[in-house]
Amino acid sequence: MTNLRNHNVPNMMIIRRTLLGAMIALALMAALPGAAYAQSPTDARSFIEATAQSAIATMADKQLSRNDRDDRFRALFVSAFDIPEIGRFVLSRHWRTATPEQQHEFLTLFEEITVLTWARRFQDYDDERLETLEATKSGERDWMVSSRIVKREGPPNPVQWRIRQGTDGAFRITDIIAEGVSMAITLRSDYASTMQANGGRIDTLLATMRTKLDQLRAAG
Amino acid sequence: MTSPRTSASPNFVTRINRALTLERIITSTTARLLLVFGLVALAGCATPPPDDDPEGKAEFEQVNDPLEPANRWVFGFNDIADTYLLRPAAEGYRAVTPEFGRQRVSDFLDNLKTPIYLMNDMLQGNVTLAGSTMERFLLNSSFGVLGLMDVATPFGIPGHSSDFGQTLGSWGIDEGPYLVLPLFGPSNPRDAVGLAVDSYADPVDYYLQNNHMHWVSWTRLGASALSQREAYLDALDDAKRTSLDFYSTMRSLYRQRRKAQIDQAGAAP
Repeated sequence: MTNLRNHNVPNMMIIRRTLLGAMIALALMAALPGAAYAQSPTDARSFIEATAQSAIATMADKQLSRNDRDDRFRALFVSAFDIPEIGRFVLSRHWRTATPEQQHEFLTLFEEITVLTWARRFQDYDDERLETLEATKSGERDWMVSSRIVKREGPPNPVQWRIRQGTDGAFRITDIIAEGVSMAITLRSDYASTMQANGGRIDTLLATMRTKLDQLRAAG
Repeated sequence: MTSPRTSASPNFVTRINRALTLERIITSTTARLLLVFGLVALAGCATPPPDDDPEGKAEFEQVNDPLEPANRWVFGFNDIADTYLLRPAAEGYRAVTPEFGRQRVSDFLDNLKTPIYLMNDMLQGNVTLAGSTMERFLLNSSFGVLGLMDVATPFGIPGHSSDFGQTLGSWGIDEGPYLVLPLFGPSNPRDAVGLAVDSYADPVDYYLQNNHMHWVSWTRLGASALSQREAYLDALDDAKRTSLDFYSTMRSLYRQRRKAQIDQAGAAP
């Protein structure tokens, strides 16, 4: 018990300091919109760490009901992932031929599929920890954050996060690269092949996506 | 056969005859299988998009799968074999063996592959990796109790795998068209050759075959298949569940992963 209390004291101080820092940062960003892109590697790393932390905290909170947990996941993933950007990349050349209505429906379905996919992945969460290693700038607004997932048994898995800073100054994930495999490229290959098989019709793709969504929902 | 001269060594003659019959059976089976897959491949060539669709053509070339219909056929066959045999076996293995035990099996099997890793590290001209393969082998075989415990990783010498497909790739040999091998799964001509070379070059297997311990060799093969399939249970389930087209997702995963491995092999000193 005393041990716990001792740990709590510096924790509270850190939280207070972080809050203060966040408020100052927000105030600065509001005052200097042009300076929003000038972030350091530390900021890029902390974004990934904070995102992983919230995901783990949501998962570890046994008090939450299933619905509440799903809602939190949705909120977390929609804010953490740049889903419109990933969606446009995934549809690639077919994005341009799609009507605005089709684009809109595609993104809605794509977001839903992404959220369900990741919620399910986190169900298997088994005490893994994420350690960020370094962040390097790649392009004006893009960063690559390398990290590794440490499991209870076996060697750690290297994971790289491609993140982009939006016009609002916030970071969002645009790709995850695990052991050389890019999530965005794999998805693009999947969707391109589906488009090719159906003769390049967006409406057929949307129907396939709705079926997939029903399957994912049914599987829980 | 009835002449007195041959009856002096009947054992020898029978053995030769048996070997010849066995060889004939194997060759004819292989030939038949090759013929079937050849016919399927011929019948199953993908039609490239027409010239007035340059983006479609570029995509076709990038996907690098001119044998797609034949590949999909073999992929379907593999998927059935996996769904009804390998995957249930891997699930059973996971159910009866605790995580600690499975890790010991996987560490042990990995340690036995040291000669293959070492050969390929050297053929890739990667002295640093060859050194760490040797160090891992010495540490894990001694302190790690015959390789059961990977004690080298916590020591700061993480494991890696090197195969002859990677070696060919690091020598600049192109992957060739994407190929789904029966039972072995995603591959290409370069990696298929690599697979054959690695299995012929394996001294552990040579030793087992020469000492008539075929059952050990088969057990090792079975255990490797089980251990690897178990390691990929969640990842493959996930890919199958979340993808629109499992076939193209696997193709993309395989090609990206191999490219990353070869780039890594080429980048290291």
